[in-house]
Amino acid sequence: MRIIRYHQPSARSYAPVIRGYHRSPWSGLEIEIDRLFNSTLGDFASTSSTQFPVDLYEDKDNAFVRAELPGVDRSDIHVEVVDGYLTINASRKTKDGHCGQALSVNRSVSIPDTVQSDQVAAVYENGVLTVTLPKREESKPQKITVAVK
Amino acid sequence: MSLLNPLNPSLWRPLPTRGDANRPEGPRQKPVYRVTETDEAYELTVQLPGVSKDGLAVTSDASEIRVVGQRTWKRPEGWTTLHRESVDSTYELVLTHDNAVNHDHIVAELRDGVLQVTLPKAGAIKPRKIEVN
Repeated sequence: MRIIRYHQPSARSYAPVIRGYHRSPWSGLEIEIDRLFNSTLGDFASTSSTQFPVDLYEDKDNAFVRAELPGVDRSDIHVEVVDGYLTINASRKTKDGHCGQALSVNRSVSIPDTVQSDQVAAVYENGVLTVTLPKREESKPQKITVAVK
Repeated sequence: MSLLNPLNPSLWRPLPTRGDANRPEGPRQKPVYRVTETDEAYELTVQLPGVSKDGLAVTSDASEIRVVGQRTWKRPEGWTTLHRESVDSTYELVLTHDNAVNHDHIVAELRDGVLQVTLPKAGAIKPRKIEVN
């Protein structure tokens, strides 16, 4: 299961580490700085109005997605499974009397075919939304015994 | 930290206290919060996802309002972590003020991971009209 935030792979990130033979001594530092800039600038562009933290877990029967969405009414959270993507859409309305801060956040996670899309369930508690995606029977780890002739 | 997040911005910075015996262990993170002000009170809104009433402690004294929220969710056995973006550390928010709050009438409500605290202003700092003889 992958979060959709595509990082352009650079040639350096795929270079084999053969003791400085093919990579310059600075390439490790460069990769770290690239990563720092990607994450820092990415976060500034997208914090607090369009992104919320999402955690992914799985066990042998289900996959779980936990999203931090404090202060949202249950009726304003929409979870949809469309075309192999799980989309979480939430809007936060302000109370009357405050200046308009109604914001809407949206995040999509790609889910593999191994999920039974019609049995997805979601629970919202303490500001955290937990979506449970049951795996299909045939994709659960199964023990197959093979008779050897 | 206290100079940077005053409830009522002022230039007076209190000395740091040390030796808080009942402070829970571990790293802290600062939650997203907002303070608005009316003539009568301050409204503090803090986003504390994953914190329930049991894990929340709100204290106030003459110089600061302190909100400490512990996330009580534990990953169940058998769950493998694939990707983490949230942070498990305790939320802590300290807002300083200079006797600006009337402690007896503070009202706090935690709902859906959002803490709403109404801090009535102490009588001494409410705006008042002064008669001139």
